[in-house]
Amino acid sequence: MKKLITAGLILLLTGCSLFSSKVQAGNIDITGTVQSRCIINTDTVGAYGNPNAYTLTTTAADGGQKPIVRVDVSLADSYYAQISYPTEFSSSPSLSDTVAWTGSVNSVQTSDAGMSGYQAASTTTGSMRQYGLTVAGTTWFDVASAATYGGGQNKPFPGGSYKAVVLAECIAQ
Amino acid sequence: MYRSIILGLLLCSNVLAHEMTPTYPKWKVSYIEGVESTTMEMFNRRSDVEWYEIGVFDKEWKPVPFVTSYKILNLKYLSQVKFKVYISSSNVDKAEYICSTSKLRGDSMMVSSKICSRFK
Repeated sequence: MKKLITAGLILLLTGCSLFSSKVQAGNIDITGTVQSRCIINTDTVGAYGNPNAYTLTTTAADGGQKPIVRVDVSLADSYYAQISYPTEFSSSPSLSDTVAWTGSVNSVQTSDAGMSGYQAASTTTGSMRQYGLTVAGTTWFDVASAATYGGGQNKPFPGGSYKAVVLAECIAQ
Repeated sequence: MYRSIILGLLLCSNVLAHEMTPTYPKWKVSYIEGVESTTMEMFNRRSDVEWYEIGVFDKEWKPVPFVTSYKILNLKYLSQVKFKVYISSSNVDKAEYICSTSKLRGDSMMVSSKICSRFK
């Protein structure tokens, strides 16, 4: 009888200890915070094609490549995206004549249907286009750029390497 | 649901990315009298960039004097840094934005990234 009671007590205590360890495990908290953030990504690096002696362009048909910038925001209405096409070379051979710059910025893909109005709602100031990022998610922007040399007289660019910079900004609202 | 998954995958993917938090920092009293400070955090996932310039600006985007360990931070690819920015208490109300701008040294047409947090 004593053995039976002892065995019962052992089983009871074991069960209690298992139960209490389960309760303890259930009390472990996992905490996290969702904070607003903006991430600027360069998905595609751009390149200039040279369809004729006096033009450098990112148009694919002319051998160029438009840079693609991706902007991720984790909370709505927290940031503006400002994307600017280049208006000067960051490095180039010595240029004695003027360069005419043209360009455009377009929202080409979005992760949410609610972002479809971004392009229409955007505003421009010079070479910069500003987008209000009113929905959390991802937006892809492509940037077109073209430079023509010679002040309208179509003079050939001097031979050498040409570099220009696209500016992608994320400004907290 | 799918949006969250896609965004999560994108945030984890191996791309050229520049990130700075918090979006809305606050000035706190520092251990130096008349000086306030805030702590920012940056993460560099741009393999083409190792240097970032820090700036503090007012509402009109004019520079506001500030002090930090390095105004141009060396931040290796896939590394994270916390840095403190100190400002005179008299300039606290003027400071509107704190920005980090990538410094480029590449060979092709490049994208310069700039992220600005705002003091509200």
